[in-house]
Amino acid sequence: MKRLKTGMLLVTAVVFGIISVCSSAFAADVIKIGYTAPFTGSAAEFGTNGWRGIQMALDEINAKGVSIGGKKYTVEIVRYDSVCTPTDGAANLRKLALEDKVVTILGDHCSSVCNAISPLCEQFKIPGITIECAADNVTKPGNDFYFRMRASVGLMAPLFTPKIIEKFGPKSAGYLVVNDDYGLGLAKAVEEEFNKAGVKSALLETFERGNTDFTVNLVKIKQANPDVVFYAGSASEGAMILKQANEMGITKEIKFIGSEEMGEMELLSLAGAKAAEGTYAVALWGAVPEDFAKQVKDRFNAPMHYAIIFGYDALHVAVNAIQKAQSLDPVKIRDALKQTDYAGLQGHIQFFDFDGYKNQGKAAPSLIQWKNGERVPL
Amino acid sequence: MEVLFLQIGNGLIIGSVYALVALGLNMIWSITDIPDFAQGSFYVLAAYVGLFAVTLAGLPFVAALLLGMAVGALLAFLCERLLYRRWRERTFRDAARVQLLCAIALFFLFANVANALWTGKPRTFPAYMEGAVFGFSYMRINVLIAAIVLFVIVYLFIMKTKQGKAIRAASMDPGMAQVLGVNIDTVNSMVFAIGGALSGGAAVLVAPLYSVFPSMGDLPLLKALVVVILGGFGSVAGVLICGLGLGVIEALGAMYVSSAYQHGYAFFILILVLLLKPKGLFGRV
Amino acid sequence: MWNTNRIILGIMLFVLLAIPLFASSYIVYVVTLAMLFSMLTASYDFMTGFTGPLSFSHGAFYGIGAYTSALLTLKTGMSFWVAMPVSTLTVFVFAAIVGYPALKLRGHYFAVTTFFFGHFIYLVLLNSRDITKGPLGLGGIRPPESLFGINFGNMTAMYYLILFFGALMVVFLFVLVNSSIGKLLVSIRENEDLAQASGVNTAFYKVMAFSISSGFAGMAGSLFAHFFRLLHPSTFAWMTSEMIVIMFLVGGAGTLIGPIIGAGVVTFILELMRFAPEWRFIIWSILLIAILIIEPRGLAGLYNRIRGRRA
Repeated sequence: MKRLKTGMLLVTAVVFGIISVCSSAFAADVIKIGYTAPFTGSAAEFGTNGWRGIQMALDEINAKGVSIGGKKYTVEIVRYDSVCTPTDGAANLRKLALEDKVVTILGDHCSSVCNAISPLCEQFKIPGITIECAADNVTKPGNDFYFRMRASVGLMAPLFTPKIIEKFGPKSAGYLVVNDDYGLGLAKAVEEEFNKAGVKSALLETFERGNTDFTVNLVKIKQANPDVVFYAGSASEGAMILKQANEMGITKEIKFIGSEEMGEMELLSLAGAKAAEGTYAVALWGAVPEDFAKQVKDRFNAPMHYAIIFGYDALHVAVNAIQKAQSLDPVKIRDALKQTDYAGLQGHIQFFDFDGYKNQGKAAPSLIQWKNGERVPL
Repeated sequence: MEVLFLQIGNGLIIGSVYALVALGLNMIWSITDIPDFAQGSFYVLAAYVGLFAVTLAGLPFVAALLLGMAVGALLAFLCERLLYRRWRERTFRDAARVQLLCAIALFFLFANVANALWTGKPRTFPAYMEGAVFGFSYMRINVLIAAIVLFVIVYLFIMKTKQGKAIRAASMDPGMAQVLGVNIDTVNSMVFAIGGALSGGAAVLVAPLYSVFPSMGDLPLLKALVVVILGGFGSVAGVLICGLGLGVIEALGAMYVSSAYQHGYAFFILILVLLLKPKGLFGRV
Repeated sequence: MWNTNRIILGIMLFVLLAIPLFASSYIVYVVTLAMLFSMLTASYDFMTGFTGPLSFSHGAFYGIGAYTSALLTLKTGMSFWVAMPVSTLTVFVFAAIVGYPALKLRGHYFAVTTFFFGHFIYLVLLNSRDITKGPLGLGGIRPPESLFGINFGNMTAMYYLILFFGALMVVFLFVLVNSSIGKLLVSIRENEDLAQASGVNTAFYKVMAFSISSGFAGMAGSLFAHFFRLLHPSTFAWMTSEMIVIMFLVGGAGTLIGPIIGAGVVTFILELMRFAPEWRFIIWSILLIAILIIEPRGLAGLYNRIRGRRA
């Protein structure tokens, strides 16, 4: 007993020792870029994927090195876990800005966190690029220091809904969305567009992130029997929904149209080609170069995911701006970011101020359909 | 009518998962006074073990199920033996709370270990059976059948065997049982192992219907806590009835009231039942 | 004990007063959150440590306070200085209404009921989208109006404001637990039936303790709302309630000062771990179990043991 207690004390001491050593590690001639993302909790898969993309970009960049004023630098990423909670995200940002003195910040993945850190980016005068936050209010009204590459939910909806209406001519639509800013925001935006075109709303069903059994929602959908069901949520939940809908024989009568996550290759590995067959999805990326997809596969043994692409693009955009600014002054980097003109994997990346948005990208989403385990563009 | 039938059926199937996790929790709770939150994480680890048994080792589903149960039992047994037991003597006032804190810590620990080892990415558990009847797949129906079989086994074990008698004695009055020669250490090890096995079994049973991911144990754990309290301590049948009942009520509530509050109905049922019967529906007084 | 407590609290107050003078805004931010959690655990201790019933709904009352205060200032244009007492009182009354039936339950029955009460409140905050904006988050909350020329839009000013109210609350609770009421509460904790038999209206005192403790959680929530200025239901989900229980037990139940320090220590450990994103909670939970093995009575127990050995 006594020995065990001494042992435990020792373990505690060693852990603290490791911490102090790790935090004091420091190298010269590095550009520090911060990354805040959920690495634990129910949104962990997004942070994990974003980090994969950033690692891919990081290796490419450091292989060449970044030269500023004739001096060579390597890039170092300092990353912290936000657990998808605003208070943790704000702590991350303050630590990155004030303790680690990073020059640019990437992240976060959750809109609630993005909304918490965007004013802080402005306060500390450090440019930030969100990886995948989709709520409109992240850049609307936004501020001078926070950038978004992807289209927000309000910008996406008018771009893909006409294609759905043209293709199916639905009379009624149901919505099955995850109960967060992303799911509800997208459902609202799509509903608005649908209503304008005379498509009636049949029902709105929400579920909590981390839910596993959707039969209850699916039975309600079966009863309401809309022509199309618009789904917004993660690929994992979407896959379970498709499997369970298939089981109940709903997919034969009702068309499932998923948000961008349902256009991910991951859906296939999760739901299987059979359950995914015939499902439509909004796609944020078209064709990714084959060698990139292969690199991801070899390195992480993971299917392509948009967070990988977004993370990859985000770091490249940030480093390009640093190189263009030829300075490590965050304000100058911000100015260079505003001039971004970069051909990313997700499309052409530029930042605009328009319609009340600030520093917002204009990438246009498209529609795809799953056929025999392939993404077929429409 | 068909909709009602589907909802009740789905409710029963979800409910049987709650009931399985709750049965082990109930036995542990009523004998050792520990609300063993860690059961929620044994659920997660067992699901991963079952998944790897099928995908990597190519074992048949039944073998994966047994393996998952074994892993759950082993982990629960070890936690009791190495951790909870040291605070059992109750030499200070908050011993029970320390055990609770330890249980919560273990719950965080194992769920995050799964996250660190296998990332947050959900994984698919391959289907082991095709086909459906009346809108329920065979795999789904199997969950209910297996749950009932497991309940009968546990019931027979408790009622008919010598070890079962010891468990029953300990759950009624641990002090008296010890005087009468029941080895309380053995009883504790046994109930923890049974609890872990049931949680692990429940996880592997539903894994092919859902996905396997690190936070998959949260909801079953929460609902199992309610079922234990609703059913009352020390009643095997009470746990089964309340587990299935809660599943059905949630499904019907989601159908006819609002699905946004699907996981909140438990609160109303708890308040209602406990105000009428403060010891649960089937608890001994 | 009373005297050493005073010395420790005095030192803590001195250190907390000094922190913003030299520390970065990151440290000030983290310490502010720790102070808010100290308020939560101290008020939780009043209920659970001194009176007995273990509850898992403290985070929910924190959330009700935060949303009430934020909505009052946003929708009616009420000043923070009115909204804070109003929301504290609202939570106080609400807790009494909930507590009156719920506290008839004992032990685990009460604990699990409060757990689901907390989850239910979270669902209400999440799904009442017309009022709380649900998962979109409630933003645009104003900082407290200037008072005596102090602008509370400044984080340091907000830090001192929270420290002021926190200190006020701790002093109030200390006076209360050392009064005759405190002794009554302890008698309920030690043996409820006996206390009842000797003429104590246990139901009344339990509800009172529950309301006071929840009311202070509401006050902390109001301060949080106007400090962070962005509310999201996830901030008040069951993790928060569990974290409060963990901090409370790490500190040492029924000592008031233990949980205050416990909140600081747990926050500090979690902050230290920030460098290891995936392993943060793993190391943290192992440390937690290690603390339990070394001294199950928490930090207060450890302190007593060291002091006992010297004496």
